[in-house]
Amino acid sequence: MANRIMIVEDDEVVCRELRVLLENAMYEVAAVTDFDQVVPQIAGADPDLVLLDINLPGCSGYDVCMQLRETLAVPVIFLTGRTDSMDELNGILKGADDYITKPYQAPILLARIGAVLKRTKRGLAGEGTQLVCRGVMLDVAGCFLVCGGKRTELTKTEMKLLHRLFLRQGGYVSRMELVEYLWENQIFIDDNTLSVHMTRLRGKLREAGAGELIETRRGMGYRV
Amino acid sequence: MNARDFLRDRFPVLVLHAVCMGLLALFLRLTGYSGTNTALILIFWVLIAGAWYAAVYWERRRYFRELEQLLENTDQRYLLGELLPETFRLEDRLYRSVIRRSNKSVIEKIRQIEAERRGYQEYIESWVHEVKAPITGISLLCENGRRLCCEGKPQPCENGGRLCFEEEVRELLRSVSLENQRIENYVDFVIYYARSEQVYKDFLIRETDLQRTAEEVLTKNRLLLIQHRVQVRVDCPDRVYTDKKWIAFILNQMVLNSVKYCREEPFFSIETRRERDGVLLTFADNGVGIRAEELPRIFEKGFTGSNGRSRERATGMGLYLCKRLCERLGIGIRAEAVYGEGTRLFLLFPISNYIANAGGDVDEASVKLS
Repeated sequence: MANRIMIVEDDEVVCRELRVLLENAMYEVAAVTDFDQVVPQIAGADPDLVLLDINLPGCSGYDVCMQLRETLAVPVIFLTGRTDSMDELNGILKGADDYITKPYQAPILLARIGAVLKRTKRGLAGEGTQLVCRGVMLDVAGCFLVCGGKRTELTKTEMKLLHRLFLRQGGYVSRMELVEYLWENQIFIDDNTLSVHMTRLRGKLREAGAGELIETRRGMGYRV
Repeated sequence: MNARDFLRDRFPVLVLHAVCMGLLALFLRLTGYSGTNTALILIFWVLIAGAWYAAVYWERRRYFRELEQLLENTDQRYLLGELLPETFRLEDRLYRSVIRRSNKSVIEKIRQIEAERRGYQEYIESWVHEVKAPITGISLLCENGRRLCCEGKPQPCENGGRLCFEEEVRELLRSVSLENQRIENYVDFVIYYARSEQVYKDFLIRETDLQRTAEEVLTKNRLLLIQHRVQVRVDCPDRVYTDKKWIAFILNQMVLNSVKYCREEPFFSIETRRERDGVLLTFADNGVGIRAEELPRIFEKGFTGSNGRSRERATGMGLYLCKRLCERLGIGIRAEAVYGEGTRLFLLFPISNYIANAGGDVDEASVKLS
């Protein structure tokens, strides 16, 4: 079952897009619509995590957080445009689990949400860590692949590349997209180095007996 | 004030004394008074007048020395009017009241300017908070739009090597993201500049994971860095006690600078090393470097250097602000550069001796400290 995240945000565009972003990241999302009844709405939705803005119409996120803490043990992350240290300290003192300032970057936000959920032991247990494509099994958590009963270890970069391709089976993934994906995962390499890693990965796949698993199409990218 | 100045100041009175003495001597001579007695009278006159002026000189000197000392010991010298020593002299009292009135108007002016500035600063802060909502909105819109494009059905495009429509939209959204990121950096700059001038300290000193902080800065600027084909190595295993968001801002400035002045195949490295007196963070690039004669001035306000003038519009504020923020945080900052080969910036996070001596048990020691 997916984790349910409650968004408390009064800016319509941000709220809508945040919802799309989180839904794409396989979370179940609910948003507060009536800002006079924030706490009851949150309690009613019983979320696994609350994303809370500080400047809300008619009330302050701090108060909401404090009221939540009286009744619920749900983790809270403040998402706010306020960068003052006093605000941050206030947020932490009110019992928040993290404090992220706007404008946040999607990958960073998702990483921090993941971290808080993991810490509060509500993280997804079996999050598709094993993917299969044309007889090749990729174990994301263990960082290796199995082909015909033979196990081949992968580096972090190779694993990320293959993971991305496996998730988009049948579709082309452009080089740019791959580089961006790597940067979102703290691998800071350029286009040329990507080619090096790709060549190495191809070699490993060939050795493992998977043959030409990765197909290249000029101007389009890679595909498995 | 010395004796000569004092005598020069009293010159008219002294001349008057001399003239009066002359006239008296002449008068006594004409009335048949004996020469010896006249001389005696004049000697006494000189002695009495001398003693009087010596006393006045001593009193004045003490008074002004006291004033000097007061001036020396107060940090707010414009308050001198309130601190002037008690005196019986009319002139001193008149001067005191004049100085007090003048000071009062200065103080009022200062208060007024301070209030105006505070108001302006509060406005800037609230404006920055407001403007961050639309920036966040745009950033999320682009992110979701690009995700939508790449997760759409794969459509082979056969129209003569032209990029397919989705790729075009992705490209467009990437450009919007990049521009949005630039706006964000400028907005950040405004708020940190406003804060660096402030009297109160906007710090939240906590144990900070430099690896994570650096990675977040790079991830934030990934579109710009990928566009410039930058590669980065991050190796910051050491943790320090500092304010994370200020460090993130400083690192962000360094990254932006290095991107601005990069050459072919740019490569940055961010590393930390534990030194005897702290943790040293090194940010190195292989960009155009800095001319040796300009190196000592790069942290000056408004200094742009030949790089800044020839390449991009530089404000000369980035490194100046970094230096200011570092000073406030107690971090040492310095730069090394080879012109045409690259630049290295160093941040030294000091560790107090107590913690340093504790060796490996840094965490435990700092808990005890707090």
